[in-house]
Amino acid sequence: MEIRLRNLKKCFGEKVAVNIDSYDIHSGDMLGLVGNNGAGKSTLFRLIMDLIKANEGEVIMVGEFQGQPVERNVAEQEDWKQWTGAFIDDSFLIDYLTPDEYFKFIAKISGVSDEQLEEHLAKYEHFMSGEVCGQKKLIRSLSAGNKQKVGIIAAMIQQPQVLILDEPFNFLDPSSQHAIKRILTTYHEETGATIVISSHNLTHTTDICPRIALLENGVIIRDIQNEDNSAEKELEEYFEIND
Amino acid sequence: MKLSFRKIYKELRRLDKLQEKRHPMFEKNKFAKFLIYFMFFYYAALLIFMGVVLPAGLDGSMASFHVLDSGFFYILFADFWARFLLQQTPAQQIKPLAVLPLKRKTVLDVYLIRAGLTWGNLFMFFFLVPFAFMSIFPYYGWTGTLGWLFGWWLLLVADSYWYLFCRALIIKNMLWIILPIVVDVAIILATILPEKNILGDFFTDWLEQFIFWNPLAYLIPIVLIIILYFANRKLQAEIAYNEVAKTEEKEMKHASEFKALNRFGIMGEYLKLEIRMRTRNKNVRMGFLVGIGLIVMFSIAVSFSDVYDGAFMQNFICLYNYLILGIMTLQSIMAFEGNYIDGLMSRHESIYDLLRAKYLFNLAMLILPFILMIPTIVAGKISLLMNLGYMFMVAGLIFPGLFQMAVYNSETMPLNTKMTSKTNNWVQQIVSLAVLFVPILLTQLCEVFLGDVWGYVVLIILGSIGIATYPIWLRNIYRRFMERRHKNMEGFRASRATN
Repeated sequence: MEIRLRNLKKCFGEKVAVNIDSYDIHSGDMLGLVGNNGAGKSTLFRLIMDLIKANEGEVIMVGEFQGQPVERNVAEQEDWKQWTGAFIDDSFLIDYLTPDEYFKFIAKISGVSDEQLEEHLAKYEHFMSGEVCGQKKLIRSLSAGNKQKVGIIAAMIQQPQVLILDEPFNFLDPSSQHAIKRILTTYHEETGATIVISSHNLTHTTDICPRIALLENGVIIRDIQNEDNSAEKELEEYFEIND
Repeated sequence: MKLSFRKIYKELRRLDKLQEKRHPMFEKNKFAKFLIYFMFFYYAALLIFMGVVLPAGLDGSMASFHVLDSGFFYILFADFWARFLLQQTPAQQIKPLAVLPLKRKTVLDVYLIRAGLTWGNLFMFFFLVPFAFMSIFPYYGWTGTLGWLFGWWLLLVADSYWYLFCRALIIKNMLWIILPIVVDVAIILATILPEKNILGDFFTDWLEQFIFWNPLAYLIPIVLIIILYFANRKLQAEIAYNEVAKTEEKEMKHASEFKALNRFGIMGEYLKLEIRMRTRNKNVRMGFLVGIGLIVMFSIAVSFSDVYDGAFMQNFICLYNYLILGIMTLQSIMAFEGNYIDGLMSRHESIYDLLRAKYLFNLAMLILPFILMIPTIVAGKISLLMNLGYMFMVAGLIFPGLFQMAVYNSETMPLNTKMTSKTNNWVQQIVSLAVLFVPILLTQLCEVFLGDVWGYVVLIILGSIGIATYPIWLRNIYRRFMERRHKNMEGFRASRATN
């Protein structure tokens, strides 16, 4: 599924949070979105997910769903949500459910059977490290890291063709960070899904994303092809990590 | 640098004023602002009017202030219960300050002292001052009037601390709501049951001593204030710690799967969500249980008491028995969902399914008042037809009206952390007024023009049409919700941040 951003502009008062003339996230891309705080990463995600209204422009998804060609402006139709999974922050979680109940709820409303869900969760057993499922704990009682895991797993339950994750490495311990990297690359290889993640962790981003967009003041200032981690140096220079 | 208590006091006061001024909903909502001022002046005028008129009305064998003093607790009761709408507890206020390098007890002291010294405690003075000038000033002059008012101020401060104490207990466990009810009922019974009203006489004598500046008379409220201050200090600190540290609710003892609902497919999942929301979140649970409690109370009142045997009262109680839970839960429909609205909005048509589940859940809940009214029907006090008429009217005519709020509600209500007030938007205000008056008007019109039997039959028919067409009008609500989605989500997000 391709995501086309056209003349996309979002302002908060005087501040322009996102201002993208034209940008295509190709079908099957695994795109890393990087930028300083306030660069507009989360705002862009919210625009893609139609959670906020653009002042100008549009987000269009083009591709194939269930064997049929589709082209959807996300602000005008809703069925694109059937092939899109996302986790941006805690407001995606129904925190008075246990993780098991939440997964089951998401599975049922996404048309995923109990068996498929079980199979799906089995894949993430290592990632959950025995602290998420079967705990009889409500999501709100979980640690920030475990909440993050619940959100990421739930976003992937319906096997989306478009997966959007805002700061997926946040709050995770090193082994879970490693695990999620593996999960995302495997998922990408197996499904060919279009994956967009944002992160402040340049190493992780360059490790898994063949394409990286650098955002500054809402504008994509560089579109970097990252072959064999070649982007890391360029990004380090931009962020002035090595003095 | 160590801040003095006075500086901390001033700084926290400044922060609270800023918070009030910059509340996103308050800033946006001009109507709410107008309404708050309007209500303030309305009630102040009402109290002044009562304060002027009452002394003349009460003058009989006793001086009017004697009559008022003997039943002074009624004023304190009214003051106490009104505080639930307006006054935050210190435990709620200190939560955002917990991470600052300030002693928690010091911050608590600041808020407790402010709760004692706040102008809000003087609101009843709109009534008491004119009352004192009409009934005490002519006999005892300035000294007597000021002494009496000073005594009342102490009583109101004690009432404020009593409220804070009870409120803190209720935050811990809502069953503590029974405590103030028991105390209020006990005092009322102690004054009305005995042949000679010894307690009332004592109150009269005691409060009369305020007029003479008798230190012993002031000692009672002062001792009460001191005791309640320290009781609050201990309790509020504990609550604040629990809220900050989230020590409560680490693990659930039992999590029902509601397997019976699985047969309803996706709708069953949303119904489970509705049930879990009501059972696992303090604020939702509280509202729901109060609604159920009122239904039980209304049903018992109609069934076993002769007090409401008049036709109008029976109609009124029967109707609101069906309506009360809907009013309480649907007026703020979607406000609790504001906490996870982004998640819901990321799923295809999930809001439509959620609305359907909410409607079905509310329909199912109408069975409760119907069952509870059966003894009254069997006893022949009210007719089965009237019950069915009201039940269908609520389900098919009133609920569609209340569900319109799903389009306009855009303020998140916290699921668990305590809130005291919310700034309703103008649509909410109109709808809440409408649901109080329109149903009774509608039923009365039906009865007047069509007679008892046909009036109820028409209500049943109209209600049935509303129920049968629910997918159509819910789809319309959903369509309009989606048109306003960005505006609403912005509101949900902004208010979520301030909860």
